[in-house]
Amino acid sequence: MRVVTTAFLLLGFAGPARGLTDYDAEVRQLEEAVAAIQPAKDLDPASGARWVHLRYRRATLTGSLAELEAVRIDIDEILRRQGGPVDLFRLRAQLMFKFHRLKDVEADLARAGDPRDVALRADLDFQYGRLDDARRGYEDAVRRDQTWDNLARLAFYRAKTGDPDGADRLYAAAEDQLSAKEMRSFAWLELQRGLLDLGRGRHEEAAAHYERAGRAYSGYWLMDEYNAELLAATGKFDAAVALYESVLKSTPRPETEQALGDLYAYMGRAEQAKPWHDKALAAYLASARRGEVHYYHHLVGYYADVLEDGPEAVKWARKDLELRPNPATREALAWALYREGRFDEALALVIQALASGVSDAHLTYHAAMIHLAAGRVEQGKQLLARTAALNPRYNSFHVHH
Amino acid sequence: MTRRHLTACRPLILICSLAMLGGLSPTGDSWAADHNDPNAINSIFADIPPSAADLYDMFGFPSEDKTGGEKVVLALTFASVPKTGVFDSDLLYKIRIYATPRVDNPFAAEPSLGALLEYADEVAKKYLTLQSSEIRVRVGADGRAKVSLINFPGGSFTNFVDTNQVVTIDTPDGHKIKAYIGGRDDAFFNDLPGFFRSINYAPQFYNVPLAMDGARELKIPKTLIELEGNTLFNFDPSRPKHGQGVKLDLPKGPLSWTGNAYKKDDKGNFRFVYSGVDAQAGRNINAVVVELPLAYITRAPETDRIVNAWGESWVKKASHKAPTIPDRRANPLDRVEKLLAAPEFEEEMAAYKLVDTDGQPFADAALNEREDDRQLGANNVLLARHFVTRLAHLGWGFGPSIRALGLRSAFEDDGAPVSVHRTYVFATPAFPRVAKLIWQELNMPDDSWNTSGKKIPLRRPFEIFVPNVNAIDMDTNGSWPFGRRLEDQVATRFLSLFLDHTASVNGKRYHIELLGDQSLWDGVKIEPKTPPNPLKNDKEFLKDFPYLAEPW
Repeated sequence: MRVVTTAFLLLGFAGPARGLTDYDAEVRQLEEAVAAIQPAKDLDPASGARWVHLRYRRATLTGSLAELEAVRIDIDEILRRQGGPVDLFRLRAQLMFKFHRLKDVEADLARAGDPRDVALRADLDFQYGRLDDARRGYEDAVRRDQTWDNLARLAFYRAKTGDPDGADRLYAAAEDQLSAKEMRSFAWLELQRGLLDLGRGRHEEAAAHYERAGRAYSGYWLMDEYNAELLAATGKFDAAVALYESVLKSTPRPETEQALGDLYAYMGRAEQAKPWHDKALAAYLASARRGEVHYYHHLVGYYADVLEDGPEAVKWARKDLELRPNPATREALAWALYREGRFDEALALVIQALASGVSDAHLTYHAAMIHLAAGRVEQGKQLLARTAALNPRYNSFHVHH
Repeated sequence: MTRRHLTACRPLILICSLAMLGGLSPTGDSWAADHNDPNAINSIFADIPPSAADLYDMFGFPSEDKTGGEKVVLALTFASVPKTGVFDSDLLYKIRIYATPRVDNPFAAEPSLGALLEYADEVAKKYLTLQSSEIRVRVGADGRAKVSLINFPGGSFTNFVDTNQVVTIDTPDGHKIKAYIGGRDDAFFNDLPGFFRSINYAPQFYNVPLAMDGARELKIPKTLIELEGNTLFNFDPSRPKHGQGVKLDLPKGPLSWTGNAYKKDDKGNFRFVYSGVDAQAGRNINAVVVELPLAYITRAPETDRIVNAWGESWVKKASHKAPTIPDRRANPLDRVEKLLAAPEFEEEMAAYKLVDTDGQPFADAALNEREDDRQLGANNVLLARHFVTRLAHLGWGFGPSIRALGLRSAFEDDGAPVSVHRTYVFATPAFPRVAKLIWQELNMPDDSWNTSGKKIPLRRPFEIFVPNVNAIDMDTNGSWPFGRRLEDQVATRFLSLFLDHTASVNGKRYHIELLGDQSLWDGVKIEPKTPPNPLKNDKEFLKDFPYLAEPW
C-alpha cells in the first residue's frame, strides 16, 4: 500500500526546529495542521476527512487513546452525515484494530470494498488466529507492493512464528525502502529489530538497534519505553525506573504504569510497586466499565501475574479469547487457568497454542510450567530447555510484548 | 522476572505505527509540468503533498551567447519545497548529459512494428555502454550548494557555490560554466486542468487517495471536446473551480461513460475541455540552471551536435541518515553505469534513492500513465511496446474529437463518429492504428528553428520520446522537439502529435503550433474559442542567464 509508504514523506516533516526533538517537532507540526482546520461540523467532506486523519495521526503518535476515541466519534459523525469517502472506512478500520474491535474492522474493510487492502485483511486473519491465511496475505501484499510496511508485517509474522533471523532480514529490507523523509518509520523498524534481539537475550545487539533508533528520530516516548525495559534487563534498575517515570510524565499510559510497578516488584520493592499497579488496574477496569475491550489482555496479565488471582484472570481471558481467538489469547487463558489450578484445561489450551506455529520464549516457558503442573515432567523439562535456547536470558526483567 | 501479557499488543502497535503514516495530509496544489512524477510523490493525489523530489521540467537549448564558443543552457526545475530559494538538504539533483552526432534517419523507411522495436533495441544497447556526464547538486543546511561535475572529458571535480545568485565555475581544464541554483518563477505555462479533463484524470477533480490506483484515468474516452453526459468531468457552471483547485469526493456508482455523442450547446457549439488559462501563473519553482560550453561536454563539438540531457532527483536513504546497510538497485543498466563511475562519486550515491526523472515533457503523463515502475528516466526503451499500445489508446479518444473539429488526425480509427475508450494488451493489433502517428515527421511552423541552415531532418514522435531525454540540436535554436526553449508551448505542441502532418489548412501544412493559432479556433464552432493553452508565460523571461524570471 504505497500510500502508507510515502505518506510520511507527505507530511513534509522536514526535521526538528532548533531545540526541539524530532518527536516534539512532529507533534507540533501536526497540532498546527489540526488547528488550521475548522471543527468537523463546519467542514466540507474533503476537509473533514483531512481533519480526522490529522488527529488520528497525532493520537497514534502521542499514544492518546482518549483522542483516538474522539476521532472515532468524529469519523462516525462524518460518515453518518456524508456517507464518507472510502478512505474514512479504511481509517476507521485501522482505528478499530487499536480498540480490538475486529468485527468493526471487518465491517469497515467490507465497506471500503477495496480488494487491495490485502495487508489489513491479513492483520485481521492474524488477530483471528488464521495464521496460514495471514501468512498468505502478507506474502501476497509484499508480492503486490514491496513497501516497507508490507515487509514489516511479514517480518512480524516471521518473528512470531519462530523465524527471528528471517524477520530481521525482512525488517532490514523494509528499512532499505525508506528515505530520509521517513526517519520515524526507520526508527520504529530499528526498535523492532532490537526487540527481536532482546527476545533472544542479545542485549548488546538490542542496545545497538535502540541507539540507532534514537539517532534516527529523537525524543520518541516509545523508544524510551523500550530502552527502560532494556536497562532493567541489564540490571540498571535505577536508570530504568527514572526512564519509566520520565515517560509517564509525558505519556501517562496504564501499561507503562504497570511496567514500572512490575519493575519495582522485580526489584523487591513491593511498596513502591503498589501505587503504580493500582493506578494501572484502575485504568484498565475503568476502560472495561466504559464498554471498551482493548485492555482485556492487560487485565488477564495483571490478575494472573501481579495479583495471582486465577478466577479473575480466567474471566477476562475468556472475554478476550471470544473476541480474538488466536494463539496468544489461547495461551493467556491457559496461563490464567494454571493460576486457578485447573491444570488439565490449561494443558489442552497451551498445547493448541504450541501447535499453532507461534514460537517464543514466553509461550514455551508458560507451556513448561503448565506441563510440569499437569504431571508431564519430561515435556516440561524439554520446554524449559527450549525456552533457554530461545532466550538464554529469559529470567532477566522483561515486559512481555 | 515479571510476566506481562501484551502479546496481542504488538500487532496493534504495528498497525498503529503504520497507520500513523497513512493519514491524509493537506492536499498539495503544486503540479508538475512534465507529469513525470512517480505517484508516490505526486502532489496531485489527495494524500500526497508537494515534494522537493518532484521534478517539473527539463529545459535545454543552445545559448545565443557564442562568446568563446558554443554553449548549451540546461534548466532543471522542481517543486520549491521547503520554499522558494530554499532547498531540502536530504535531496540530491542530477543533470545527466551525453553528446552524440545527429542521426539523420533512425527509422527504416517503411513503418513497421519490427523496425520500431529494432530501433528501441539499438537505443537500449547504447545505454548499456553509455557513460554519461553529470552535474550533481546538493544544497546543505547553510544554503551553500555542493556542485560536482563528473565524467566530463576534462575529468571530475567539485565546487561549492552560493545559491540564489549567478555564479561562474572555473573548470580545471579552463572552461567557464555559469550556474544558478535557486528559486525562480515557474517557467511552465499550461492549462493543466484542461489536460486532465481531456484524459478524465480523477485525482485532479476528486479526492483520490494514492492507493486507489484504479480510480485515476477513468474508463471514459480521451477527448478534446466534452462528451455528452460525462457529468464526472464536464465543465459545471455551478462549480466553475471544480478541477482547478476544488476537489470533490469521488461519487459512488459507475465511473464510466455510456454516451454516444459530443456535447453541444443550444447554438451547436462544442465545449472545449481546455480553457487556455495558465494554471501555473504566480507559482515559483526551485531550479538548477547551467550554461556549459559544448567543448566542455564533448571533445568533438564539431560532430557531436546533439546534447542529450535529463534530470534526476534522489533522496537520502533513511539508513544512511542513521547508517546501516548497503544499497540494492534493480536496474541492470544503472549497474553498468555504476561500474564506470568515479569511485568517490559512486560511493556517495549508495546513500541515495532515485525518486524522479525528467526528460521529455508529457512523456510520462501521456505515455507512461505516471506509473512508478515506468519511471525509468532516459532508460525507457523497455517501454517501446507500451508506447504503441498507449498511443493507440489515446488515438481512439483524441482522433475522433480532432476530426469533429474539422481537422485531420494521424490516428486510424475507422472513422469513429465519437471518441472511444479502447485499450490494448498487445502491440501488434495496436500498431496499424498508430503507425502513421509514430512515423510522421512533425512539421515546424516556420524555418526560424533551423538557425544553421543545415539539412536537419524533422523529428518524429517515437524518436522524441525514446529515449526519454531532451535531445538538444546545437544547429537549431533548441525549440521543441529540437530541445526545449522556455517559451515553447509544449503542451499544445504535444497535442499536435495526433494531427496528420501531411494535411494542409489554408494552403499550409499542419505543424506543431497549429493548435495554438487563434485564427483556427475562430473558425470552429466551439466554446471557449481559445487555443488549448496560454501562448506565453505569466512573467517575461530574461534575455540573459539564468533566463528564467525572478520568483514572485
